[in-house]
Amino acid sequence: MHLLCLLCLLLLASCGKAPAPPPAELNLYIWSEYLDPQIPADFTAKTGVKVNVSMYESSEEMLAKLQHAGGAGQYDLAVVSNMLVPTLVHLKLIQALDQGRIPNRENLDPLFLDPAYDQGNRHSLAYQWGTVGLLYNQAKLPDLEPSWAVLFDPARQRGSFVLIDEMRDQLGAALRFLGYSANTTDPGELRRAGQLVLAAKKSPRSRGFEGGVGGKSKVVAGLADLAVVWSGDALKAIEEDPKGELAYVVPQEGSIVWADAMVIPARAPNPGAAHQFINYLLDAQVGAQLSRYTRYASPNQAARPLLPKEDLENPVLYPPAEVRSHLEYQREVGEAARLYDEVWTEVKSR
Amino acid sequence: MDEPLVWQGRLTARRRLMREAWSCAGGGLLWLTLFLVLPSLLVGGMAFAGRDPYGQVVWDFTLENFRRLAGFGALGWSPAYFYILVRSLWLALVVTLFSVGLAYPLAFFMAGLGPRRRALALALVAIPLCTNLIIRTYAWELLLSPQLPPARLAAWLGLIAPGEALYPGALGVYLGMISYSLPFAVLPLYTNVERLNWSQVEAARDLYAPGWQVFARVILPQTLPGLSAAVVLTFVPTLGIFAIADRLGGATFMLVGNAIQQQFSASRDYPFGAALSLVLILLTLAGLLLYRRHQRETALL
Amino acid sequence: MRGRLLVLAVALGLALLYLPLLAVALYSVNAARVGLIWQGFALDWYTRLLHHPAILDAARNTLILALLSTAISTLLGTLLALGLERYPWPRRPRRLLETLVDLPVVTPDLVFAAALVVAFALVRGLWAGFELGLPTMIIGHVTFQLSFVALVVRSRLALIGPTLSEAARDLYASSGQLFWRVTLPLLWPGIAAGALLAFTLSLDDFAISFFTAGPGSDTLAIYIYASLRRGLSPELHALSTLILLASVALVLGLQRLAQKES
Repeated sequence: MHLLCLLCLLLLASCGKAPAPPPAELNLYIWSEYLDPQIPADFTAKTGVKVNVSMYESSEEMLAKLQHAGGAGQYDLAVVSNMLVPTLVHLKLIQALDQGRIPNRENLDPLFLDPAYDQGNRHSLAYQWGTVGLLYNQAKLPDLEPSWAVLFDPARQRGSFVLIDEMRDQLGAALRFLGYSANTTDPGELRRAGQLVLAAKKSPRSRGFEGGVGGKSKVVAGLADLAVVWSGDALKAIEEDPKGELAYVVPQEGSIVWADAMVIPARAPNPGAAHQFINYLLDAQVGAQLSRYTRYASPNQAARPLLPKEDLENPVLYPPAEVRSHLEYQREVGEAARLYDEVWTEVKSR
Repeated sequence: MDEPLVWQGRLTARRRLMREAWSCAGGGLLWLTLFLVLPSLLVGGMAFAGRDPYGQVVWDFTLENFRRLAGFGALGWSPAYFYILVRSLWLALVVTLFSVGLAYPLAFFMAGLGPRRRALALALVAIPLCTNLIIRTYAWELLLSPQLPPARLAAWLGLIAPGEALYPGALGVYLGMISYSLPFAVLPLYTNVERLNWSQVEAARDLYAPGWQVFARVILPQTLPGLSAAVVLTFVPTLGIFAIADRLGGATFMLVGNAIQQQFSASRDYPFGAALSLVLILLTLAGLLLYRRHQRETALL
Repeated sequence: MRGRLLVLAVALGLALLYLPLLAVALYSVNAARVGLIWQGFALDWYTRLLHHPAILDAARNTLILALLSTAISTLLGTLLALGLERYPWPRRPRRLLETLVDLPVVTPDLVFAAALVVAFALVRGLWAGFELGLPTMIIGHVTFQLSFVALVVRSRLALIGPTLSEAARDLYASSGQLFWRVTLPLLWPGIAAGALLAFTLSLDDFAISFFTAGPGSDTLAIYIYASLRRGLSPELHALSTLILLASVALVLGLQRLAQKES
């Protein structure tokens, strides 16, 4: 008797449970450690809109969430890798931006306006940009050869390493090592790159794959000697390291330069707030604050005068011309995307 | 169907009884059909479907997924998936052996305690069960870190390089898995051992039976229901585990569970994931048939 | 000699179960933020937890999910067991249904988590408004809890046997009286055990929650798993230790309750 009463009460309680979301809320989906918590707090203070930050660790995870797990109807704003913007548009997972509501887009460096991956910035606006490189412990690996060979050539491997759990970035590294383009569509080249990464993964010095900041965390914790990371994460680790042992290098064979973009999912509950927040992020002050926190390079031209001089001259953040000449932007590869996927799956599964 | 019959002291008709039976069990059966049988059939069907470059399912009949399973992947032919399957089966076997092997002494020890101590022992076994799998998994990550005694001991013994952790690798996965399965093995065994007919054991001893015979001929047959429950509850989850292998094995120790999980998240290749799941379902169905044949009672608790 | 071997095995078993958890508890009070060097005793990480809305949300989700799914599965599972055990099913259909009910017990939960994902994806294809969330997680949990509850209740029913029901019928008991005054009181320990098992399974679950969760319906397990990808942190240790303490309280509390009943 008591049991039935309890059951009924529970069921009743559940029915009344789900309240409608309060009107002024913004659900943000972004990489972890990629947003100064003060910024959404200031935004809330200024506009009254509460910001809920959800984080992800890999692009594939983000894509899976948006495509298959309802993210397109749950998040108002997402920060994604630029390379995925055409895919998101094709899958109808993001909506067009209302340019009129974002006057601050004028602050962006012209390099980031009307990019190849998103003509006219119809669906996205740049957030931060950076490079892919190696974070390593100088004390354990002095005079490290600035080459991808420390991952891919067993004869030239020096210490334990963590590979990055990002398909295009990790395969891109292997492709550059082999002298190919990171945007190749040639199956033979892709296969060779895949086999390299697979061999690296199976090598006794490998410490597995880590997405996002996982690789950096492992180097910082001493669980690995070097990791494939992004420039901003590396800079953060270097600056926070009490012993000053960490360093970042872009391998000489070349690497990837990327830009992350702000997009609004197709069925965002609160697109008005999303536009407001994008505009807020593109403000010169906020842009500088963002870069100072994330330690990534800012695409915001108006923010540059507000950045410290050491940052602007830091080669980790703003690589010098000779490094830049070896950097490649990732592009959509069209039909070959399927091949990349298959190669990557094989690499991860075997 | 309409003739009167007496069932459990009640005068009624078979039809009436069966109608009652269906209305009673119907809810649960409907639920299982809707949320277990139908989705499983769907998975079976999807295993034969294809995938477009953007990760959407393409409902054309194709054997592509099975061709990949047989080894004909993008990086050339490789028996990789075969290895993954064998590795998973082997892991499940070893873990079951160790878990059940440790569970027997534990169950006997617990059964031999006084009632208060027994309750405490039961609680000790049940508590890790309530903390989550993830916590127990990453707890092993912590325990196997370079700075803690186990890794230091291994380094001192020269088994690993100093400053290295005992994971990612097979050892971490095995340890994590055995530690996870232990409560599942102990509990059914314990309930069985508790009801053991000790007079039979005494009789065997009185007849000068050596220790191993006492075990094999008296104890083992009596504990068979508990044992088979323990085996099933250990073997089956181990086959499908992915979290433990993911955290403690890194990408170097691939199991079927990891491969499946990957298809449904990062790779967004649902049809291939479905094909892998189909293989796993077939494996466990085979196991179930074997289990049914040796089963005597469904005493679980 | 045999006694010593027994004690050794027991010690090994307990070590396997508790050493990792104790390590977590130990490091939850380590003052060091990063790394594993002992830097003194500190309770900072615990206080930080209280200010973490994400964790509190996850804890609430975990509890609601466990309670609701246990309630539904206990109800359905008990009825299922009664329907199967207490009625004259012909042999073939009975074995088929028993196999069906046993299926979740002998299937790795990953498999039918994947099956549910596939099914839900299809539903979304047909009805665009359908999203993953707490309801889908409840569905996933109930589906496997159902079989465990039914298993436990069935074994209890088998233990009780039909004699008492027959005796009650002989005394002209109606169906209602039979159920409420004979069957249910006798069955009650089995139902309670089944419910407890279901509750524990829900708390312990990761795979099914992981696959059927939507944004905003994270359980503690999912939250911890996501945080792990960024590296071990003392806050996670503090959270895990709290969960461990909660489990201790739960188990000991239930034991106390069970002792009082008997």
